[in-house]
Amino acid sequence: MRKILEVARHEFIVSLKRPSFIIATLALPLLGIVGLIVSAYFGGQAGEFLEQQFVGTPKAVGYVDQVGLFTPPLPEYADLFIPYPNEEAGREALFAEEIEALLLIPGDYLDTGRVIGYSKGRGLPTAISVSEERIRPFLVDHLLAGQVDEGLRARVRAPMNLLPVSLAPQGEGSEDIASFVANIAIPYAFSILLVMAIFTSSGFLLQGVSEEKESRVIEILLSSLTPIELLAGKILGLGALGLAQILFWLGCGWALIGIAVTGLALFGAITLDVATIVLALVYFLLGYLLFATLMASAGSLGTSAREGQQIAGIFSGLTAIPFMVSSFIWTNPNSLLVQILSYVPLTSPVMMLQRLGMTEVPLYQIALSLILLILGIGGALWAGAKVFRMGLLMYGKRPSVAEIWRALRQA
Amino acid sequence: MIAVETSNLTKRFDGLVAVDHLDMEVQQGEIFGLLGPNGAGKTTTIRLLLDIIKPDEGVIRLLGHSPGPEAQERVGYLPEERGLYRNLKLMDCLTYLAVLKGMDRKLVRKRAEMLLERLGLGGEGGSKVKALSRGMQQKAQLVATLVHDPEVVILDEPFQGLDPISTEQVKELIRDLRERGKTVVLSTHMMNQVERMCDRILLIDEGRRVLYGPLEEIKARYAEHAVLVRCSGALEGLIGARRIEQRERERLIILEDDALPQDILRQLVEREIAVERFEVATPPLEEIFIQVVEEKDA
Repeated sequence: MRKILEVARHEFIVSLKRPSFIIATLALPLLGIVGLIVSAYFGGQAGEFLEQQFVGTPKAVGYVDQVGLFTPPLPEYADLFIPYPNEEAGREALFAEEIEALLLIPGDYLDTGRVIGYSKGRGLPTAISVSEERIRPFLVDHLLAGQVDEGLRARVRAPMNLLPVSLAPQGEGSEDIASFVANIAIPYAFSILLVMAIFTSSGFLLQGVSEEKESRVIEILLSSLTPIELLAGKILGLGALGLAQILFWLGCGWALIGIAVTGLALFGAITLDVATIVLALVYFLLGYLLFATLMASAGSLGTSAREGQQIAGIFSGLTAIPFMVSSFIWTNPNSLLVQILSYVPLTSPVMMLQRLGMTEVPLYQIALSLILLILGIGGALWAGAKVFRMGLLMYGKRPSVAEIWRALRQA
Repeated sequence: MIAVETSNLTKRFDGLVAVDHLDMEVQQGEIFGLLGPNGAGKTTTIRLLLDIIKPDEGVIRLLGHSPGPEAQERVGYLPEERGLYRNLKLMDCLTYLAVLKGMDRKLVRKRAEMLLERLGLGGEGGSKVKALSRGMQQKAQLVATLVHDPEVVILDEPFQGLDPISTEQVKELIRDLRERGKTVVLSTHMMNQVERMCDRILLIDEGRRVLYGPLEEIKARYAEHAVLVRCSGALEGLIGARRIEQRERERLIILEDDALPQDILRQLVEREIAVERFEVATPPLEEIFIQVVEEKDA
């Protein structure tokens, strides 16, 4: 155990000093601070400013009113909707780029609802440059002006402002939108952090093993401790580093949210589901353990750091699967595919972390997924240790599949 | 007392026998030569001794223990495939490797500095390993081998890549280890470089023991009945000389069966020939090895 802790200490300190680790650790909170400053000092204006940069200032829309219900335009639309007496005049204005689009509202509009939209260019006829959201209020307001009171007119223009509420079996869930978002966002954030930790900590692990093999230090190490002690020490040290990095990020995140809530009143008070947070931590730790073992074994197989990374790419690619099917999780977090991926040890940590915030995952599914994950870790450690031992002393030659198989079969 | 002992030691890789039923004993406090050509099985034998790989058959005893953690901490190993952590400071690297060998972290610096000084690397402890020259890294590796003051030191091709001055420094250090009662196992394919240093040797070929025992006994066993002479005068007509061969600057006088070296020396004195060198001829280890392997194959 003493040697394992010594290796862990060494790996922790050496990786902590790596410039790539320092940059990666500080970059995320700095981005958060920049975001907070932008929100605090520019407020809603920032959004408008950004929108203007990407979308630009909208031009007026021309229209030809053949039904007689839309002229003259209401004062609030006078700048953005310009009436033309006939289609020819409207087309001329369109080609002269005085207007962005031309709407022809025919005489049978009330019966059919048909409106013809003209845009300049050769795009598909459906690709009208003015969105329906911009046209609808214009039509609604003119149709109802003087017919109903102002409040009803506004409600018809925007009939729904949906507030989703989840009901847990014990009773009503939180109606607080900030807590609702936080309880989705935090497990989701954990899943992203898990992937980041796999790519940083396991990446260092892989790099360290490959370098030790490439520089031949490995032979001296193996004359001092067993491959299992070396593997365990590395996983422990870099796991602690990954955890420290995440705790640092969470601490920064907590502080930033605190500032946003108390100082800037950007959110309401947030209440978090403790069980979800604890489970998120458990999945994070187990997920790291599994991937770290696989990455270290892969690193031992390569003849160089680059080759080790290529082999490990197989495993790191697997972490992306839950994100590739995230549309399934968002639409139906209990679908069969999502459930299956919640049981497969290579995808379950990320998948479960995403599901936990979005739905009430049945307890038996959590238990089964954890059992399978722990069994998967056991299997990975068993096989990883054998492959690690064999791979470490193979210089200049990558072991064949047959050799790996033989190593696995050896007692 | 026996420091290292193997009995019937065997290791196979994919059907190839790398070490073949090897028996040997290394006495405490001696310099033991583990010799043989490239690919003879020397490095595999060492890896077996250090528990880096497991034997297929046979028994190993290292300082009275089976290979494992207890024995490992009392052994220093300089591998043939060398390397240190290139991005670490030398002292940090030495400390990490010494602590893994069970040494107290606080004691490492003083001993490491003493060894670095001894090998001409004084003041380099704070340098990054990658900033050191190749030769300096080689010597730094030797410091890493010795820093925890091991009882048994296993050196695999220790002179490889060293210049003559560094080679001499390392040889002196090895002799010093013997004087301090340490056991040194010296493995190399360059037999002529170490034959004068070793007390006993094991010469292996294709994993099998070819020659084993005290170096002097082996040399005597394979000694030609001859003397090696360096002198300026003519040597024709010496009584007891069967034939004379030129060997670089010396001449090798092969003796008749009943002749003695002192008979030849007496005649040289009588002829008033200025003798620079006169010694009973012993063949170099390399020649003995070739002779033994040829006899075995014949």
